[in-house]
Amino acid sequence: MNSDVAVLPESGLPEGLRQPPVLIGEIRPGGVDDQVLSHVFEKPPKAWFIAFACTSAALLIGLAMIGYTLAVGIGAWGNNMPVAWAFAIINFVFWVGIGHAGTLISAILLLFRARWRNAISRFSEAMTIFAVMCAGIFPLIHVGRPWLAFFLFPYPNQRGIWPNFRSPLIWDVVAVSTYFSVSLLFWYLGLMPDLASLRDRTRTKTRKLVYSVLALGWRGAASHWQHYERAYLIIAGLATGLVLSVHSVVSFDFAVSLLPGWHMTIFPPYFVTGAIFAGFAMVVMALVVVRSTMHLENLITEYHLEVMNKVILTCSCLMGYAYLLEGFTAWYSMNSYVHHTFMQYIAGTYRWAGWTTITCNILIPQLLWSRWFRRHYAGMIFVAVAVTIGMWFERFVIIVSSLHQDFLPSAWHIYRPTIVDYGILLGSFGLFFTLVLLFARVLPVIATTEMKMVLPGSQPHHQGRGHE
Amino acid sequence: MSKRSAFSVVGIFESPQLLMNAIPGIKAKVTARLEAYTPYPIEGIDRLLGLRKSPIGGMVLVMGIIGAIAGLSFELWTSGVDYPLRTAGKPYFSWEAFIPVMFEVTVLFATFTAGLGMLLLLNRLPLFRHPMLRSKALPLVTRDKFALAVEAGAGELDPEAVAKMLQESGAESVEVIEMPAPAGPLSPVFFFNAFAALAVSCVLAGLLTYWATKLFPILPPMVHMLDQPRLDPQRADSFFTDGFGMRMPVPETVTHDSVPYTIRSQDYAGSLVNPMPRSESVLHRGRQAYTNYCAVCHGVLGNGSPSLTAAYGAKPANLVSQKFIDLPDGKIYHVIMAGKNAMPSYAADIVESDRWAAIHYVRVLQRAMNAKDEDIPK
Repeated sequence: MNSDVAVLPESGLPEGLRQPPVLIGEIRPGGVDDQVLSHVFEKPPKAWFIAFACTSAALLIGLAMIGYTLAVGIGAWGNNMPVAWAFAIINFVFWVGIGHAGTLISAILLLFRARWRNAISRFSEAMTIFAVMCAGIFPLIHVGRPWLAFFLFPYPNQRGIWPNFRSPLIWDVVAVSTYFSVSLLFWYLGLMPDLASLRDRTRTKTRKLVYSVLALGWRGAASHWQHYERAYLIIAGLATGLVLSVHSVVSFDFAVSLLPGWHMTIFPPYFVTGAIFAGFAMVVMALVVVRSTMHLENLITEYHLEVMNKVILTCSCLMGYAYLLEGFTAWYSMNSYVHHTFMQYIAGTYRWAGWTTITCNILIPQLLWSRWFRRHYAGMIFVAVAVTIGMWFERFVIIVSSLHQDFLPSAWHIYRPTIVDYGILLGSFGLFFTLVLLFARVLPVIATTEMKMVLPGSQPHHQGRGHE
Repeated sequence: MSKRSAFSVVGIFESPQLLMNAIPGIKAKVTARLEAYTPYPIEGIDRLLGLRKSPIGGMVLVMGIIGAIAGLSFELWTSGVDYPLRTAGKPYFSWEAFIPVMFEVTVLFATFTAGLGMLLLLNRLPLFRHPMLRSKALPLVTRDKFALAVEAGAGELDPEAVAKMLQESGAESVEVIEMPAPAGPLSPVFFFNAFAALAVSCVLAGLLTYWATKLFPILPPMVHMLDQPRLDPQRADSFFTDGFGMRMPVPETVTHDSVPYTIRSQDYAGSLVNPMPRSESVLHRGRQAYTNYCAVCHGVLGNGSPSLTAAYGAKPANLVSQKFIDLPDGKIYHVIMAGKNAMPSYAADIVESDRWAAIHYVRVLQRAMNAKDEDIPK
């Protein structure tokens, strides 16, 4: 049963089919600990403090803007009929999407036994948690009175009413909160052996206490590993279905409504692909910074970055197909409203947003066909930033362009975000990167236990392969 | 060496291969329980140690099925039985729409069974008192060494003999772990501190709750969105040549599935007769409709809701007052259909039979809230 972690024997494979090494140089299991865990114990470099100052300032701006919104109501934002969903929902969909890459790397690639995932799984799982936290803020403040947000959940009440389970909005509440709890559990279970490692390495008393409590007394017993591995694999399998369902449900918020531009069957796969696309771009961006500043070049190799860039390229092509299909649906439907809405995307008031989306999501990622772009920081960062911008604008196009011209021409309305909208968006980036920076200081950014598993000679019957 | 007996003897091995090689020999020689401690899972070690297959798969399957049934039946019960809500012309038991939530609940049950079942039930964690946690061997294990422990369990252990045996099997070092000291009684100081902390947090929580209950109902409502420029119904707009913002419905049409209500004034509605019988089932239906739709403003007892007055300045009618006792059913029906003052029309929300049933229930409330001595059964 322990074949779940088996390193595929590759010696019998022809040269072209062998996977390139996922590590550079000779690394001992203890060396992984020394290299990764040392960052937790050392004083952070000056660059970290500068970055932290910037991100927490952005976070504070966001908090101030949220405070202002709560004080005067969401009329402080630019959205109004017919564009009732604007920045809040754009940012929500954007951040939920960012989270999907983490679960894909940690769960789906685990099932596919992609060994390269081990080095980046911890970091991208953490990004999932933080991204879903950022996402959760937006529906919460969009309800206007967040202290009444418990109305969203089914609870027995005096009025004898229950949520409408036929509404995609309640599906969304259930899906996103399930996603957050399951991701947190999955992340924590993966972290537990590493926390035990930290507990046994740390010197100061407070840290020792904190890591001891968090490690739950994990002692690496074989009888524990046996259940642990099984449970981890099962959760990975379930998380795979979950991650596909979550962004599908988010897309139902649009697709189940009868609005032209939203009511399309392509939406669930299109949203899931877009989510993985945006998420991988964010992982590449953050990983490049972590890899170079924390000197992890031997564990996160150029091969890792190249594979991720290939995923981005694949997703970009799939997105291109989805965009074409949107146009095809508009034409094939022979529905003048759908046709009108589609023309709004490419030739309407917000055509600049539509063309930004197409340029950033479809055209620029094609640069990744070149090996240079896949392997050099400048190239991949350029593409990743473009994809992040493009994916944000894609949601802007879907939401604002589709809504601003209602069925009733007298209600047509040009949407303009206010400074509060921009401030909260900035604040969400601040929150995300503040959490990422804190995470990089207090927890291992690489799953050391999983890394030790893929080292040569880590399993008994592979003795003698690799460096031994 | 102290007087306490040994809990286990732990041998440290350099590589997983050496550990695996040592296990069969030790297992043949001792009757005590063997446990291996490794930095990561080792393939095949469970078979060597004779561990039984992990039952977690079965647990997850059972709980996943329970989750699916629980999710779906909860949705069917709330949406079809306890609060039958008609939306988008769908039937009450429209199970297709309940699949997404059922799926999420299934995943939630299954994953937490896998995670927490593994931790709490199978591995008995968290456990901070395990003797291994205080050993010198564990920090080596969580780094890169492999340990084999011969654990005494209920029986006795001869530490020296076992240590020798482990060394002969290839252990690079051996550690004897003592039986943990029996847990002493908790000190009075601990109890005092715990009690004091509890008391202080209770007082703080109480003060906060008091402050919140005083503050929130009197917070002015947010009217920012009401104040901004927008196109209201019935407002003028320069877009159309006739100057109206709204368009008239297509002539000679009615909304699908609706019966036109033609009475314009409450004065003419008094002659309408309540078609529902005053049976127990109708009154139950009426109470449900009243609780779902009316009680939020008019109060569960029908006497108006003072909290709304405080927050919005709205003053819902006191339905149990003499004025409403004298009002005919038809005039109350008219207000449900057409609305009055701040109250909007509820025609789209409450179905025809429920409107009349709710009026019957209002009569029940009027009788109950103005009960006389004669009403008490002898």
